[in-house]
Amino acid sequence: MNDTPALVETQVLSLERPFRFESGDIIPRIDVAYETYGRLNERRDNAVLIEHALSGDAHAAFYHPGDRKPGWWDCMIGPGKAFDTDRYFVICSNVVGGCRGTSGPASIDPATGRPYGLTFPPLSVRDMVEVQRVLLGHLGIDRLKCIAGGSMGGMQALQFFCDYPLQFDSFICLASAMKHSAQQIAFNEVGRRAIMADPRWNGGDYYAAVPPEGGLSVARMIGHITYLSEKMMQEKFGRLKKDKESKAIFRPSFEVEHYLDHQGISFVRRFDANSYLYITNAIDNFDLKSSLSSRERFRGESRQRGAHLKGMRGKRGLVISFSSDWLYPPSQSKEMVQLFAALGVQVSYAEISTEHGHDAFLTDYHRPSEITQGFLSSLS
Amino acid sequence: MYKIPAQNYPIIQEWIAQGSRVLDLGCGDGSLLKTLAVTRQVDGIGVEISHEMILKCIGKGLCVYQADIDKDLSEWADGSFDYVVLNATLQVITRPYRVIEEMLRVGKFAIISISNFGYARNRLRVLAQGRVSSRVRLSGGWHDSPVLRFVSLREFMSSVREIGVEIMDARYFFPFNVVSNTRWPLYNLLAKEGIFRLRRA
Repeated sequence: MNDTPALVETQVLSLERPFRFESGDIIPRIDVAYETYGRLNERRDNAVLIEHALSGDAHAAFYHPGDRKPGWWDCMIGPGKAFDTDRYFVICSNVVGGCRGTSGPASIDPATGRPYGLTFPPLSVRDMVEVQRVLLGHLGIDRLKCIAGGSMGGMQALQFFCDYPLQFDSFICLASAMKHSAQQIAFNEVGRRAIMADPRWNGGDYYAAVPPEGGLSVARMIGHITYLSEKMMQEKFGRLKKDKESKAIFRPSFEVEHYLDHQGISFVRRFDANSYLYITNAIDNFDLKSSLSSRERFRGESRQRGAHLKGMRGKRGLVISFSSDWLYPPSQSKEMVQLFAALGVQVSYAEISTEHGHDAFLTDYHRPSEITQGFLSSLS
Repeated sequence: MYKIPAQNYPIIQEWIAQGSRVLDLGCGDGSLLKTLAVTRQVDGIGVEISHEMILKCIGKGLCVYQADIDKDLSEWADGSFDYVVLNATLQVITRPYRVIEEMLRVGKFAIISISNFGYARNRLRVLAQGRVSSRVRLSGGWHDSPVLRFVSLREFMSSVREIGVEIMDARYFFPFNVVSNTRWPLYNLLAKEGIFRLRRA
């Protein structure tokens, strides 16, 4: 590997044509932010689509010019890495409803000239997938080697794979679930309430004023508690105090308080509160199994009920969970494996033993990398 | 950890019908599954606990499921498989009866191979050394050997019958590569290993 960091810039595809959401609502135009790494081969069959998680964006790997930190999954994407950019053409785009370049509630509604706010259509995981289909069409790719993602990215990977099985050779799903449990919905709801209880939220109309930073940072703090394991938190922070001399009451003094405070503050700088509401709502309502069997399917490779399921037979799947992940526990990944095995997908399951909780899918890359490399090499 | 005896492969292939669904418990590096996929076109999945073995299986393009077979078979639905194989793995299992019952719940047939603790050399080693030989333990001492179960062919056969399992077919491995499908006199003394095809009685 060379020493000079590989650079990348986020590109934006602007489509001056309407996009229809699963809800039936239509927006007149749409932007899609994306990045690509590696090169598309002549046969156009080496593409890999990466899906980001709740707070992620299109910047999955490499460095933006001048940045000191690479993309969010740089440990997995690059020359010689799990998603080897010497072999594969890797694509990642920001989800619709997000706030990192793709159209979302903070985007300008051409009808009013003002940000959508809560007039942005209700969002589903399937909408995220459909927007990426538009992007793939623009890039001239109709067949992909693999679709991969962790957490919410895993949900998109599963939905995309199940709706269009003939477009993919395989999927990789890390630390995810086919639907949220009551506990997962509950944590998201507390986050949403924190935002909506902030007076600056103002019914979602705050773009001309100060955004609801207090509420959004509390939502992020709650999120971060669920991303770490109890043991890891104890080892990392314990009861350590940062400033023992301080007499100020109810100011962050424990290390863990400072950590959460920092996570909250750095999040509000780069994330839109309304996007947080829309996206968490979309993943709470995600239910893969029922979306596969529903009669109301209006998208997907076949409108005939059940016919799309046949397309999955013989496809390859890889499900990875992390032992101490209590937000998306291994049991949810195992359910997924059972479903795909029953549908005739050649599916494998690995449980990585780690103390790092849900965050492990971003940090414990060594074993997932080995498995992913073996899996992708065995595809052709 | 230890070698899966490939000598059983021809017998397992003979017993498994073309294109059937196979679950291989303790599949190791997946060599049996690969053989069955090539020769019998089975739709197979392995269960393994070791990360290194999982890697090897995935690299071969096989389906593998990382789990502890002592705990995690309950996730598979009844009758998900035609055959469930436990090749040279029974001796490391904590709750063998439970595993055998689970095998016959998730599969129509079970195939189990065991090494015979009643084999003459094992008996002689106990007599001579006054302890279970390290060769029987495969690796480690009495406290950390993976081998937990020491069972003779006779004991195994009569005990599975007691839990309502029928032995449909058996092969006995004698010294000098002699394999027999009939129970010769003194088989429990002279056979090194046995392999059985089982179903619910």
